[in-house]
Amino acid sequence: MSSVVLIFLLLYYVIVVGIGFWAVKKGGAKDLEGYLLGGRQVGPLVTAMTLQATSMSGYMFLGGGSAGFTTGYWSIFYASGDIGGGVVNLSVIGRRMRKLSKILGSLTSIEYLEHRYPHPATRLIAGGLSVFFLFFYILAQFIAGGKGMALVTGLPYWVALAIAVGIIMIYTFLGGYFAVAYTDFFQSLVMVIGMVWIFAAALNATGGFTAANNAIAQIDPTYLSIWGKGLAHKGAWPDILGAVLIFSVGYMGWPHVVTRHMAMKSPKTARMAGVYSTIWNLFFVTAPYMLGIFAIVLLPNLADPEMAIFTLAGELLPAAVTGIVMAAIMAAIMSTADSILLQVGTIASRDIYQRFIHPKADDKRMVLVSRILILAIGVIGFIVAVVKPPSVFAIVIFTTSVLGSAFLPAYVCAVWWKKANTPGAIFSMIGGALSAYLAEITSFVLPPMVAGVLVSFILMIVVSLATQKSHPVPSYILKAMDLTAEVGPIPKGILTSAEFNLSPEAMAVRKKLDKDK
Amino acid sequence: MFGLPGTTAAVLFGFPIFWIVYTIIFFVKSKDWPDDLETEEEGGNSNE
Repeated sequence: MSSVVLIFLLLYYVIVVGIGFWAVKKGGAKDLEGYLLGGRQVGPLVTAMTLQATSMSGYMFLGGGSAGFTTGYWSIFYASGDIGGGVVNLSVIGRRMRKLSKILGSLTSIEYLEHRYPHPATRLIAGGLSVFFLFFYILAQFIAGGKGMALVTGLPYWVALAIAVGIIMIYTFLGGYFAVAYTDFFQSLVMVIGMVWIFAAALNATGGFTAANNAIAQIDPTYLSIWGKGLAHKGAWPDILGAVLIFSVGYMGWPHVVTRHMAMKSPKTARMAGVYSTIWNLFFVTAPYMLGIFAIVLLPNLADPEMAIFTLAGELLPAAVTGIVMAAIMAAIMSTADSILLQVGTIASRDIYQRFIHPKADDKRMVLVSRILILAIGVIGFIVAVVKPPSVFAIVIFTTSVLGSAFLPAYVCAVWWKKANTPGAIFSMIGGALSAYLAEITSFVLPPMVAGVLVSFILMIVVSLATQKSHPVPSYILKAMDLTAEVGPIPKGILTSAEFNLSPEAMAVRKKLDKDK
Repeated sequence: MFGLPGTTAAVLFGFPIFWIVYTIIFFVKSKDWPDDLETEEEGGNSNE
């Protein structure tokens, strides 16, 4: 690998760590709300970009290219849903979740679930599921980062892994959400520049879009079919539904993604953030799959489909631009890993340590505990990634399906359905996760995401309706939902302080709302 | 179109158009969303 590529990568790392230090100076970690949610001061552009950069992991550069290369135009179904993933998320739950989380005084997406579905079991189950599955998701990003670094630098895998993990941890550790959001913003720009550049180079190399498709038809015309190579997916509507849904509505079930709503400067932020998300997605999301399709012509002898975009970059671009593309790949990996690392540290500290072990812990102690946990998770993840690295993309697809299935109805119904109650949410989370898992290991006729979301929604509706009398939704939550549904400012005097734990803040909201009735 | 079968072209270009229209509708329909921030700060941190 040329020294020019290394220089660009180094420059990229310096900027990313620099943003971390800047976030500290800007006060990103001065108190718990500042550390965990950036003080709820994040504007629309950064909200949109951190939402997208967090959602798009290294999968896009490796898995997306591979899907295009192996299945042809069928893979476009994944991109077709993904383009709208950001705006769907922001328009369906963005404004309402920002407002309800503020009214209920929630600092984490798991704490928010307990406030909406009040019972300690809600947080235990949601926190446990999240920490368990997100840890594996981080592990996948660490391994992808280590492998990418090793490929670019020629360093041994464990050294490259240590560098990749170390850089991610430094800025997450330093500045919390603020650092993560702003590095994500920078990384989203690097990602889209790198992707567009290599897309243009590949298009040029094929002689244009029509010429590329004609050349692919010469190799195998079924690549051009929407049913995939060899018409392998002909009539397989559940597969198509799963491909479109996983990245369009699936994001609404990812705890580390929906946290972005809670950190917005105001509910109105969702409006412009939706527009920015779609614009960014239009440039970024389809390109990896198309690059994989172009590689059918440009790299007919490619041995490893996951290396399609790496190889195209190496062959078509000058060294300096290859450096930008490599930085973009690392950006995709790191921007996802940092968000999940912070999320897992947050859940473990706020939702488990403070909630169940040390309820009186103050902000300073909580930030410290969160940092220690991030360090511990990073070290454990590093050790597992070195000693026995599992398959990266199997983990990514599996964990995203399980998380989406577990939490999608819980987050959507939290703001849209007043009858959604605690038993409904608990059954929905457990049933959704379990059915996605079973669909995966039994190769069920429905894709795990579709099976999981279906079961999860059914359980939420059936159990909630069946237990309305025994477990009615508390009146203060119904009132808070009414206020959330209204388009307008939150009335004076009902906001809770984020410094307080569940009981005092819930009590305060209940007292005030009941008094206003 | 572009050497692609009609259904493939419809999916490739149809979905982005759909999402652009969806985004425009969302943008227009949310035009009256007020910026709640000031009121929140005025009324914030009450734990009565």
